Formats: sequence, structure tokens, C-alpha cells
Amino acid sequence: MRIDRLIWVVTAGVALGACGGGEEADTGELATDTAAVSADAGAGAAGDPTDPQIAAIAVAANNVDIAAGQLAVEKGSDAEVKSFGQQMVTDHSAVNAQATELVTRLGVTPEENPTSQQLTADGEATRQRLSGLSGAEFDRAYIDNEVTYHQTVLDAIDQTLIPSADNAELRGLLEQVRPAIAAHLDHARQIQTRLAAP
Amino acid sequence: MIRAPLALFLCLLAASCGGEAGGAAPRSHLVEMRTFAFAPAELTVAAGDTVVWRNADILPHTATAAGRFDSGSVAAGAEWRWVATAGEVAYLCTFHPTMKGTVTVTPRG
Repeated sequence: MRIDRLIWVVTAGVALGACGGGEEADTGELATDTAAVSADAGAGAAGDPTDPQIAAIAVAANNVDIAAGQLAVEKGSDAEVKSFGQQMVTDHSAVNAQATELVTRLGVTPEENPTSQQLTADGEATRQRLSGLSGAEFDRAYIDNEVTYHQTVLDAIDQTLIPSADNAELRGLLEQVRPAIAAHLDHARQIQTRLAAP
Repeated sequence: MIRAPLALFLCLLAASCGGEAGGAAPRSHLVEMRTFAFAPAELTVAAGDTVVWRNADILPHTATAAGRFDSGSVAAGAEWRWVATAGEVAYLCTFHPTMKGTVTVTPRG
């Protein structure tokens, strides 16, 4: 998938997270997302992200969920929401550590790009939106966003990051991270269902 | 009248054939923690057998059955062993609770 389309998929997914739980979409984020659709990622003639760009996207994606998880640990009221948040911090930090170790060993320098930057910006906007909530409303909004976010990241891994990775070890790491994201998604969905029950 | 000797004969036959629940030596069974699943997810062993959980993933997992066993955190590449006691056990990974498995432990002999 071309990187500019990846940006659209990612930011549309994150914007959907803002629409989840019956909340109004943040039109500011959507306006930025729309602008990003036409942004040139500078990824090269083929339009797919390069390995340095993939590395930056992966690290940004992990950092976004680490920050959200820290917020859930702090503000979550449901015990499983808090423990899920803590697990997101633990797992995504461990993945970042492994990604960093790998790219260091390979001599690859992560290269920030419009996708990684949009992920970071959207993640921060979401975090600020969630910060304004509390109690059960926070729990539901956090988990709704985790479902949307992990689905978006999973799609990006499957459709862009793994197919575009040149280096076999980088691709191997992405292939091993993929089931972690899928498991996070399953768990988030389980909690989402429970919290939505009357 | 013929039942007792027949039963004895069948028991000896099962034992000599090394059946799962027979009188054979305790065995070791491997369960991998792989792609955030237990493989095999359903395992049948005899009491006294050893179940070895080996983490083939890049993140730590647990194999936990409240009141029966708890591996604690099993790091990537590490293993944890449990000597099976009879009964049906449902377990999960406490870090990733959508990861689930069962061990059916049949009486030995």
C-alpha cells in the first residue's frame, strides 16, 4: 500500500476512535487528517515505506499506546481496564525495546515521516480528549479507542509494514509483533463488550 | 467369574502397550506459547506426567490455573514445568487472558 494511502487508513481509523462511544468527532483532528491524505510522504518512487520509515512508524505506534496505557492506569476505574492499560505499557515498551535493539544492530536509523508524525499527533489529541473524562465514561472511551487503534495498527502491519519491509529480521519482528496486536485487540473487544452490557 | 482375570489381562495389555493412562513411565508433554496461543490448546496427560510450557513468543506469558498451578512470568525463550495431578484444568495467560488452554489429567494406572 502506498504510504499516503496508509496515512489515510491510519488517521481515518484514529478519527473513528474519536467517534466511538457516541462522542462527537473532533473536527480539528479530521481536518488535519484530510490534509495529510494529500501529503507526500517522500517514500520514494514506489510509495511504500522504507525500512527506516517502518521503524519510525512502529516506534510511534508503540509510544502512542504506552501513553494511553499510562493514562488508563492513572484514571481507569474498572480494575480490568487499569490492568489492561498496564499490560499495554508493558507489552508495547518491550516491543519498542526489541525494535530499537534490532535497528541499532542493523545500523538502521528510524526516519520520521508523515505517517509516524500523524500517529503521534493523533495519539496526543486522543490522549488529551480522554484526559477530560473520568469514571465509567473514561473506561468506555479508552477501551473503544483501544479497539479501533489496535484494529488500525493490525491492518497497517498486515497491509503495509510487513509487505514493505526489506530486511528479513525487521519483517520477522513485525510478524512476531502481529499476534500481540491481535491479542490486544481481542482482549480490548472482550472488555468493551462487558462495559457495554447493561 | 471371568471378569476379574479378563480385567487383569486387559490392564496388563494396556500397560505393556504403554498406553496414555496405563502403567507406563511418566512422560513429558510440550505446550508452546506461540503467536499468543497455547499449542496444543487442549492436552490430555496422565497424572504424574510433566507438562512443559515453552515460550516461543517475544513477550512474557504465564500459564495460570487458580488453585492448581501458576507459572508466574515465563520470559521469551524460557520454560516452566508442572507435574500433573488428576482432574480437568482450564488455564490462561494472566497477561493476555484471551490465551487459554486446558489440560485433562487422567488417573495413572
